Amino acid sequence: MAARRARRDAWLGYALVGPSLALFGLVYLYPVAYSAYVSVFEWDLMTPKRYVGLANYRELWSPEFGEVLVNTACYSGGVVVLALGLGLALALLLNDRSRLSAGLQACIFSSYIVSWVAVSLLWVWMLDPQYGLVTYGLRLVGLRPVNWLGSPSVALWTLVLVTVWKTIGYPLVIYLAGLQAIPGDFYEAAALDGATGWKRFRFITWPLLSPTTLFLVVTLTIASFQGFDIVKIMTQGGPITSTMIYVYYIYEQAFQYFRLGRASAAVVIFFGLILLLTLLQWLVFRKRVQYST
Amino acid sequence: MRRMLAVVLGLMWVACAGPAAADPIVAQFWYSFGGKNREVTEAHIKKFNESQSKYRIEGTFQGDYFQALAKIRAAAITKTAPAAFHVVGEALPNLWQAGLLESMEEYAKGPNGTDLADFVPGLTQAGYFDYLGKKPAPLFAVPFFRSTPILYYNADMLAAKGVKVPTTWDELRAAAGKLTVREGDDTKVYGFEVPVDWWFWYGLLHQAGGSLMTADGKKAAFREKGQEALQFWVDLVNRDKTMKQPPGKDYSAWEVANTDFINQRVGMIFTSTAFLNYMTENAKFKVGTAFLPAKAKAAVPTGGTYFVLLKDAPTPQKEAGWAFIKWMTEPEQTISLSKATGYMPVRLSAVNSPAMQSFYKDNPNYKVALDQLKTAQRFPFSPALFDIQREVIQPNLEAAVLGTKTSAEIMATAEQKANEIIGKHDK
Repeated sequence: MAARRARRDAWLGYALVGPSLALFGLVYLYPVAYSAYVSVFEWDLMTPKRYVGLANYRELWSPEFGEVLVNTACYSGGVVVLALGLGLALALLLNDRSRLSAGLQACIFSSYIVSWVAVSLLWVWMLDPQYGLVTYGLRLVGLRPVNWLGSPSVALWTLVLVTVWKTIGYPLVIYLAGLQAIPGDFYEAAALDGATGWKRFRFITWPLLSPTTLFLVVTLTIASFQGFDIVKIMTQGGPITSTMIYVYYIYEQAFQYFRLGRASAAVVIFFGLILLLTLLQWLVFRKRVQYST
Repeated sequence: MRRMLAVVLGLMWVACAGPAAADPIVAQFWYSFGGKNREVTEAHIKKFNESQSKYRIEGTFQGDYFQALAKIRAAAITKTAPAAFHVVGEALPNLWQAGLLESMEEYAKGPNGTDLADFVPGLTQAGYFDYLGKKPAPLFAVPFFRSTPILYYNADMLAAKGVKVPTTWDELRAAAGKLTVREGDDTKVYGFEVPVDWWFWYGLLHQAGGSLMTADGKKAAFREKGQEALQFWVDLVNRDKTMKQPPGKDYSAWEVANTDFINQRVGMIFTSTAFLNYMTENAKFKVGTAFLPAKAKAAVPTGGTYFVLLKDAPTPQKEAGWAFIKWMTEPEQTISLSKATGYMPVRLSAVNSPAMQSFYKDNPNYKVALDQLKTAQRFPFSPALFDIQREVIQPNLEAAVLGTKTSAEIMATAEQKANEIIGKHDK
């Protein structure tokens, strides 16, 4: 009787997750599998696919692709480090219930919900080396204007800064939630023992925030790895290839040069990379994260 | 309740089906114009639909030429492609060879045909392509919104500095020097600006006396003259510091150049005749236009787009597409399209019409591109052309101007890659 009931419950469970599972398979698993299939063909979307084995992967083994990987790592690393650091600093500053803090939190978070396209266009204008607002500001204080988007050695870091400006509200809000989950007793006990500001942060706040930090590192890394819109609008991968990051590279191979096979091979590698990165972060942090108090 | 439902459903069916007999044949047309030219295109589509009741064209904006091309190729796979679209000339050999395009011979010579002899020779498919000694392809592309690059200059600025309109590379270089205004390290006004782009490079290549391929199309042959062309930009940007390289890729850079010109941050630019109307309307100074300056010879590429029909579309829709193409290229429409944009009229009878002749008299700028056609250079009808343009030349020019590679290195690598692509297509 009980077994029958359990079986019935199981069926009900499958039936309930079925629709979303089907959708997940259709718009996520199927495309990934299809990319893996296309990655062993040469295909330009016009003439029939030609089987080439692993040639697409071999072609990716090139300095050009290496540069894309380095660019992506720099962009992603820069965004994660800066967004985490600044997000935490802002969260510590604004972690009170005053009206000013609430107002500032809302202001800072607002850029997070604005569309990437609008933000990118806005910054293109502000950073114009001849008549942008930022250039104007620099001239006012007697500094030489910087060619933010036109110089190959600067452009990638400009994108990092704009991305941090855009996404900073996200780590801020998550860190605020993390801070508010730390019981006040700890700080009281620490105060009794004579712990000062830095020590309280080092031995209470930071360790107890580690699950939050792990969560942010994983989500920010994956999100910044998938950066595309900002490149598409602000630099299109240029100057030369200095801002060619991974997803834009895939887009360019597929829809500018119509090398669907090579692009798909890059997708497969990307899938593996993200999987690996997530596993690695999970393994490293699992030991060091304190989940319960 | 049930009866009520039946009535509602019945009404819905009637509403959806409509009176079957009078239904026009609906066909899709994808285009690549934003801004002002989009309005012009949409207005003409509307006029076509109102001019007759047999066909109805639905136009959709699909991003710039290259974005639209990606969508076309993706749509062709999923059999959702439109009956008609327009495409840049360089992409045509590829599309034709892959069998995507419908031959228009039958349409053009059929009962609803058009007068092919009346098309401006330099603007037709035959005028655009060099068939490299092989048999010409049948008619599959009809000119629509065709252009050439021209030299735009700020006539007030040139007059104030006593600068003559340049006609050679050397004169251009000297003029750019005289027009440049510096304040300390800051350049307030640049003498010259042009997107470091395939199309303008192709013009310079031919002006220097070169060509993209050998006469039989079996080898790339642009190394030496292509380098001379590229080095001209490098010298202007880095040695003279009188040319601004507009940042951004593809049409982003074009927009920057246009905006700088209108805002008087630059004295002279090369860009398409397509922007003539836009410049004239937005500039607060006298806009002058001239032929591109010459080096070994005067030369200019043509550009803009061609109408094509997709082979996979159902026959009635292709007929609708053809009717639209035929109508859009009739003298009356080609005149109004040209006046509203700056693209060239594609019909001889339109060019010679009293309306157009008196328009040219009042607006001589509009005639420059047309007159310049006598120095127009063809493009090789090679399936490698598009890959050479998009993958070999376009993304690599910039590195020379930004100083990370020399023009010699770039052109040596480019020619080698181009030969690999040609070899692949020859197989």
